[in-house]
Amino acid sequence: MTNKLQISRARLLLFLIGLAFVGLSGWLVYLQVVCHDELAKMALDKTQHKFWQEARRGDILDVHGNILATSVAVKRICANPSMIGNQQAVVARALAPLLQLSEAEVADKLTPHVARNPKGELVTNDLHYARLTKNYVSEETWQRIFATMTNLSFGVNEKLLNRTNRAFFASLRQSAIYAESAQVRNYPNDSLAAQVVGFAAVEETKAEGRITEQIVGRDGIESSMTKPLSGVAGWRLTERDSKQRELVALRNEDVHPRDGLNVVLTIDEAVQHIVETALVDALQKHTPKSITGIVLRPRTGEILAMASLPNFNPNNLNTYSTNSRNRVINDIVEPGSTFKVVVVSGALNNGVVKLTDQFDCEHGRFAFAGRTLHDAEPHGILTTKGIITESSNIGAAKIGIKLGEQGLYDYAWDYGFGQRSGIQLPGEQGGILNPTRKWSKVSIAQIPMGQGVAVTRLQMAMAMAAIANNGWLMRPMLVSQLQERDGGVVQRYTSQRVRQVISEATSRLMIEALKTVVLKGGTAPEAALKNYVVAGKTGTAQKVENGTYAAGKYISSFIGFFPADNPELLISVVMDEPKEGHYGGKVCGPVFRDIAERCASYLNIPPDPTLMTNAVPLVATNGLK
Amino acid sequence: MAKNRKNQAAAIRFGPALKASFFILLIGGSAVGFVWQKNQIDQLGLQIASREKQVFQYKRDNQKLKIQVSDLQSPVRLDQRVKGLNLGLAPAQPTQVVHLGELAPAAESNGPRQFAQRPAADLTP
Repeated sequence: MTNKLQISRARLLLFLIGLAFVGLSGWLVYLQVVCHDELAKMALDKTQHKFWQEARRGDILDVHGNILATSVAVKRICANPSMIGNQQAVVARALAPLLQLSEAEVADKLTPHVARNPKGELVTNDLHYARLTKNYVSEETWQRIFATMTNLSFGVNEKLLNRTNRAFFASLRQSAIYAESAQVRNYPNDSLAAQVVGFAAVEETKAEGRITEQIVGRDGIESSMTKPLSGVAGWRLTERDSKQRELVALRNEDVHPRDGLNVVLTIDEAVQHIVETALVDALQKHTPKSITGIVLRPRTGEILAMASLPNFNPNNLNTYSTNSRNRVINDIVEPGSTFKVVVVSGALNNGVVKLTDQFDCEHGRFAFAGRTLHDAEPHGILTTKGIITESSNIGAAKIGIKLGEQGLYDYAWDYGFGQRSGIQLPGEQGGILNPTRKWSKVSIAQIPMGQGVAVTRLQMAMAMAAIANNGWLMRPMLVSQLQERDGGVVQRYTSQRVRQVISEATSRLMIEALKTVVLKGGTAPEAALKNYVVAGKTGTAQKVENGTYAAGKYISSFIGFFPADNPELLISVVMDEPKEGHYGGKVCGPVFRDIAERCASYLNIPPDPTLMTNAVPLVATNGLK
Repeated sequence: MAKNRKNQAAAIRFGPALKASFFILLIGGSAVGFVWQKNQIDQLGLQIASREKQVFQYKRDNQKLKIQVSDLQSPVRLDQRVKGLNLGLAPAQPTQVVHLGELAPAAESNGPRQFAQRPAADLTP
């Protein structure tokens, strides 16, 4: 009987245990099968963390590898107000001097606020995230803040507190104040080459559910080369222990960021400095509205310097305005007499004129198509060469008439006018070169003297460079190569020929004519150099305002290259509304000379042998055999 | 017989005990080894993380130094410094620069020997 009872009890127990096992198995199936995805995600969220590793934006370097723009690692100080409890005052007192804020301001940011939104609903500020500073702080400042927080005393004997309170103070010290890593752009030379380098701004973007701060180029090379500069972010999927230390062995994914490439420019920092200081001196002397300068190598189209004043400091964007735009490529103006090189070289190339051909310059007044053209000074008979030397408008107009409308248009187009040059900078203008069907009767006489067309300063410089380069028009080159961070070359840019506009023989004839411009009797003797033969052309264009030529307002320019027979450098100087004189040769010639002499010395350009007869010997030879 | 059985029994007891000890040692050793290995992985992981942090810091320091070098070499700063110190320095004029042409290398046997090429015996102390 007893045995039977025991057996039945044992069976019952077995049944209950079996039932429990069935229940547990069912629950297991429910958890493992039905809720699997949800629970697996919860488990992963608790253990795994995904850390984004931002790519470092590449540097912008000059031709010698000097830094023009770089990225600096900085920190943004943040707080988790929910972890601070009622200790805002203590934390604020400790951090305020380091953050250079008032205690009240810091305490306010650490305190949760409740307010009503426009719909009347109660809302709080973010209880888990508050930015304590608007601006970034340096790594050193963050280290000081971290040390301050670690050693912060709350005026209580924590040993006497219970476990929960001790944990609260420990987490407050450890995690309530933290830093977000970021990078900001730094321009070590401040305003040097500011318009070329451009500037970048921090932009917040939301991708894959996270807000990231990204540096985005806004102007100059920063904008045009933003893709290679940016790089690609990486990430790490990993786990952490209870002390928030990473468990390296449990790293699931580790994709390293690919840093942005360094962009090496053709700009030479030293030449750029020479140009900018010369322009600043000229700005003080002639107080023009703006002044620009370009230095380039005619044979390759490499731009060594490009400056436009007023400029701005990319480290302080409050100095940026539309006035500080890059006028070399953003503005179009009537070129004035510098454009005569187009018509004269075209006519010489077509064989419709020779350098020795004579033209009657009508003593300064020439009636054509119902308009009267004037020269700055009356001239009688001038040769083609003399027209360049003395910059006769009437002479140039007569050469233009001989060349014909289509011929003039074709040469102007071939020299690159009316189209963008393709320089790697944003906002380049193409200029205005109307097709011949839109020309008026007087256009054929006006365009040769630089009226009725609008060009950028870069286009005019490149056209002159084509004359210096045996007639070959080059594409302006600003980026020399793309480099890895360690200096490995990823892409090398080479100089590109666009087309041969005039023959080599015509180019030599033009250079002969242009050499006379800086001689006595030319329009720019002030641009002559002591040790080099210079070829160049002046320009003094009346400014157009509201569709008419404004009296007393001029765009003055001088574009020259040297050594004339073996051109190494071409320099263009343009002033907008200069005071104390307005003729291109008078106001821009001396600036050209100043830049040329200093650049020649820096670049060690050998002096012209024909001008070396009066050179002072460096070493005294007396007594030496 | 009994004596022999007794002796045999003792021998049998020692064998399994040895085997059991060996087995326990193997299991125990493996367990300790496993824990030690896990610990090592953790320790090495921490070291890797610390080294990675260090490398990151070095890279950052390098970058700072690079900027500093660039700043020190900047023509703008140098120009400001030259002007500030009033040293009277000026760029060399083109006429003050002597350009030396590349000389053709002298023939090995006939050319005059350079000082550095002379045998040690020829040199006066």
